[in-house]
Amino acid sequence: MKGKTFFAGLGVAAALTIGAATFNSNAIARDYITVVGSSTVYPFATVVAEQFGKTSGFKTPKIESTGTGGGMKLFCSGVGVQHPDIANASRRIKKSECETCDKNGVKEIIEFKVGYDGIVLGASKKSAAINITRKELFLALAANVPESSGAESLVPNPYKTWKDINPSLPANKIEVLGPPPTSGTRDAFLELVMEVGGSEFAWIKALEKADKDKFKSICHTIREDGAYVEAGENDNLIVQKLDANPNAFGIFGFSFLDQNTDKIQGTSVEGVAPTFEAIADGKYTVSRPLYLYVKKAHVDVIPGMKEYLKEFSSEKAWGEDGYLSEKGLIPMPEDERKSFSNAVQTLKVLPCGELK
Amino acid sequence: MDANMNPTMLLLTILFLSVMGFVMGKRRSYAVANDAGGVSGLHSRPTYYGSLTALWCAIPALIIFSFWLLFESSIITNLVISSLPDQLQNLPADRLNLIVTDIKNIVNGNIVSADPNPSLVAAAEHYKKLNSLSHASLTVIVITIAIASILVIQRTINPKLRARNHVERVVKYILIACSTIAIFTTIGIVLSVLYEAIRFFKIIPLSGFLTGLEWSPQMAIRADQVGSSGSFGAVPVFVGTMLISAIAMCVAVPIGLMSAIYLSEYANRTFRSIAKPLLEILAGIPTVVYGFFAALTVAPMIRDLGGFFWLDVSSESALAAGLVMGIMIIPFVSSLSDDVINAVPQSLRDGAYALGATKSETIRHVVIPAALPGIVGSVLLAVSRAIGETMIVVMAAGLAANLTINPLKTVTTVTVQIVTLLVGDQEFDSPKTLAAFALGLMLFIVTLILNVIALVVVRKYREQYE
Amino acid sequence: MSETNIDIVNKGLGKRYRAEKRFRIYGVCAIAASLIFLAFLFISISSTGYTAFQQTFIRLSVYFDPEILGDTTNREGLASANFPAIVKQSLFKMFPEVQSRGEKKQLASLISSGASYYIRDMLIENPDFVGETIQVWLPADDDVDMLIKGHSDRGLVEAERRLNDRQIDWIQQLEKDGSIEKRFNKIFFTVGDSREPELAGIWGAASGSFFTMVITLLLSFPIGVAAAIYLEEFAKKNRWTDIIEVNINNLAAVPSIVFGLLGLAVFLNFFGMPRSAPLVGGLVMTLMTLPVIIIASRASLKSVPPSIREAALGVGASQMQMVFHHVLPLALPGMLTGAIIGMARALGETAPLLMIGMVAFIVDVPSGFTDPATALPVQIYLWADSPEKGFLEKTSAAIMVLLTFLIAMNALAVILRKKFEKRW
Repeated sequence: MKGKTFFAGLGVAAALTIGAATFNSNAIARDYITVVGSSTVYPFATVVAEQFGKTSGFKTPKIESTGTGGGMKLFCSGVGVQHPDIANASRRIKKSECETCDKNGVKEIIEFKVGYDGIVLGASKKSAAINITRKELFLALAANVPESSGAESLVPNPYKTWKDINPSLPANKIEVLGPPPTSGTRDAFLELVMEVGGSEFAWIKALEKADKDKFKSICHTIREDGAYVEAGENDNLIVQKLDANPNAFGIFGFSFLDQNTDKIQGTSVEGVAPTFEAIADGKYTVSRPLYLYVKKAHVDVIPGMKEYLKEFSSEKAWGEDGYLSEKGLIPMPEDERKSFSNAVQTLKVLPCGELK
Repeated sequence: MDANMNPTMLLLTILFLSVMGFVMGKRRSYAVANDAGGVSGLHSRPTYYGSLTALWCAIPALIIFSFWLLFESSIITNLVISSLPDQLQNLPADRLNLIVTDIKNIVNGNIVSADPNPSLVAAAEHYKKLNSLSHASLTVIVITIAIASILVIQRTINPKLRARNHVERVVKYILIACSTIAIFTTIGIVLSVLYEAIRFFKIIPLSGFLTGLEWSPQMAIRADQVGSSGSFGAVPVFVGTMLISAIAMCVAVPIGLMSAIYLSEYANRTFRSIAKPLLEILAGIPTVVYGFFAALTVAPMIRDLGGFFWLDVSSESALAAGLVMGIMIIPFVSSLSDDVINAVPQSLRDGAYALGATKSETIRHVVIPAALPGIVGSVLLAVSRAIGETMIVVMAAGLAANLTINPLKTVTTVTVQIVTLLVGDQEFDSPKTLAAFALGLMLFIVTLILNVIALVVVRKYREQYE
Repeated sequence: MSETNIDIVNKGLGKRYRAEKRFRIYGVCAIAASLIFLAFLFISISSTGYTAFQQTFIRLSVYFDPEILGDTTNREGLASANFPAIVKQSLFKMFPEVQSRGEKKQLASLISSGASYYIRDMLIENPDFVGETIQVWLPADDDVDMLIKGHSDRGLVEAERRLNDRQIDWIQQLEKDGSIEKRFNKIFFTVGDSREPELAGIWGAASGSFFTMVITLLLSFPIGVAAAIYLEEFAKKNRWTDIIEVNINNLAAVPSIVFGLLGLAVFLNFFGMPRSAPLVGGLVMTLMTLPVIIIASRASLKSVPPSIREAALGVGASQMQMVFHHVLPLALPGMLTGAIIGMARALGETAPLLMIGMVAFIVDVPSGFTDPATALPVQIYLWADSPEKGFLEKTSAAIMVLLTFLIAMNALAVILRKKFEKRW
């Protein structure tokens, strides 16, 4: 009998849970902001969220780290409390995504650039500091490189050690840990380093105008023979792997270099070391913008939306001495800050036609 | 009384009514028993009459309740649409859909995509009215049915009523329903990945996916980024998975099996009762922890060791991930094999000892062969666990899809690819993301095949000793 | 002289005994290897994690200046009061020689940016502090914390340190005064997530895990046991039950991330349940642990000897009565063990939660099943990905907390097993 009563009790509990679970969850009013999107923007958006939650009296926004693509998918799935209010992005929204948004009723999106993220090439402190050019990086990492004889044809990348590329570089095996092709960081790296590096060869640069597809396929195809190690999105892991492996280089966000200056050194690219100042004034060119996308329809409805955006665009957050810069976000120049903070205040809508 | 109860309240009311039904049914059975000469004159014990009443009070009410809520919103939506002005009704389907979303938003979330149009507000009012009407009628109907069925059962209770058989049949159906949840889960899994997988196979042909020797999802993540290659041949990914699983099994099977043998045949009870749960903790440690360990301790160690022997070892070698994964799945092999070895009857061992075999000879020639089907089953379970493991490989195995069986090289696995493809920055509808679903489906099929093999093997060679 | 059989046997005996010994040693080695590994893992985690249970605090005499605070009697006044200025002012008073703006900024960065909230909370609790000076221990910044705990090296070149020479001088001065010390880290156990390592806690994640596990237990145990009873006691062996059996075994092996995909498609998109809710997490975990519980429960039912069943049937019990009144109570301990092991696995699971939005930054501690929440392993995953060094020890500490729960659950399973286990 004991077994039966016990079981009946459990059964009732289960039934109640299912019942309550299934029927009680439709459209509950929401009193906090939900943000989804890029894992690169996540560390910055969360700082603002925390500040906002602690000082404003509103609930702290919920910030999910889903990746930009997944975030956009959620963001664009509709208006209403069950959909997120803001999407973090480490690249600009795409036209197709904007159109999906439009089709699902998310007609008015506000674009909000928050600053820049420096992409650095780092190595362990235990190795000797080197200076590298983008051309050398291109030669080290592209799947196919121009023949060393100078002929205008490509050969599969023959370089095994850095010394093979430039005799002044160390004789270590080429080993670069970097993000996978699904990552926005990788995308930015291709554009800012590999394309520029490839263009150092006159005939490749000529291709950019003549045959853009060919140009991109030369510059965007990374070698897959082990010299470039796709190491996933966890930048901390890359940092620690570098520490364990002094001969390797890693590609990761500036904030990780900033926090690990005792273990990791930033490699100078074309003579410019990746420091906060050098990235901020544009001397170090490998950086990319970070964005927030906001649903205008939600701004007046979800409590705290305006205030959150105001907190984000306040000088104490994204300014030159703001707390975001302490976390490693590179601030925009002042006029750009002004124009985006205006866009946010006036809720200027981004037309899909403007996008690529 | 406000007839418009919310669903939870209604659910609780049904529960309360069925408890009442139980009490009433029991009391009623005592009452009829008095006429039939005491409780022993009843066909079943009084509790069964109570349970019968309670069940018949709750089940019809719950069924109506769930179906009502399931169809309520679509019926109301259709009613609201048909009451909309004509020019709105004639809009194309997706525009109409939007308007309905707007109406629903006015009703509950208060978020509207644009300034609300008066006809929409009116429609929302209409929707609200219909909604509360529907809830009210649901409440009335459900409660009426519950009470009515209590009364009907009360009337039919008589000493001859076969209440126990009746209740038992209902309970049996509930049990059957529970056991089919596994099937529904499977169907759910297949359906939730199938749709996206089919979309993927529309872009990349199935044959190319199954036989392609190159996996390199370097496809454009923006429309203007055309040049890069993208090849989706799943073979290297699956070979990588198999390689890492094989390494893991090379660690887990000998250690796990020897542990099981020692624990079940040699160790005394105290040692066994301490060591077995300790081993099981290995399976409970979050895989994130193993991942860190593999990536930061084991992988550099193997690389340095390889460098010592002039071997070219990659920093993300399959060996590191495989070794650590092997340690994680030791308990899967050891615990299950331990149970199986214990189940081999003592008489077999006694027979071997009587013939003069030493303990190890008995184990190797008698116990293990007898327990083999079960051991194979446990190993296969461990294999499917290794194939499905995610976090360790995400952190330690890297992403480069090399088609190799050299354990010192970097390989990638299916689960790693699924995770990176799903949480990447690329557009969600690109073949890259869809490939994750295709891989998920393939993985599901592979583990299914493994399990069917395991079942057949165990069936075929199972020895019955009782 | 021919050899007799016994001679042949005796000759081989030494070899056979040696083989016996070797075999036994292999067994000991196997167990030792896994146990050594377990110990190694524990030690390596604890050695990085134990420091997180302490936190560096700095003693300040805080003057609740009514001029800076303004009107703090109502909510708006409290919200707009400049508490950071109060903290800074007290700090500057300790180092009057600091005058330049840049140096003041460096000095202020020694104290955690969250210190002002503590001051605010103090004032809310004791409104009459206004105008008084009070000695308060406030959390230090994570860089200071790392330095005091010895995780960052004071001997490095200035440019390679997070703190510059001036700041280290100030810290040394504070150390001399006894105004800086390590104390038990209560924050870690009482608050939710934060982006400042010194303010981050695991209570939010632990409650999220708790709510998730409650749902999982309430659903998976009864359903799992019911399914096991049907399959083991009632079902006829036919194709249908074969399908169910293969299915259950297969589900036990399906990678957990696939369950996440299922949860996303079914619970979020089809049923429209809220994202990031422990409710959905619990449902997904239920589906994931069900097979484990079913398999364990079936094994446990199998171990009840047929004599019990025959005796019950013999005195006239129906099959249902036999199962529920006699077999089930005897099999229950084994079932509970299976359930606990299944739950332990669910407790350590990250991948499925990734898909249903529980990998998120959530500061507020969840208070119900539909509040947004994370879970312990997710918190570990998120902290492991944070750039700040302070999170390294927090990660290990969170792992230690999770392991404590796991060990406790496993220990409970062992005790249950020992207490109720019957040898037939």
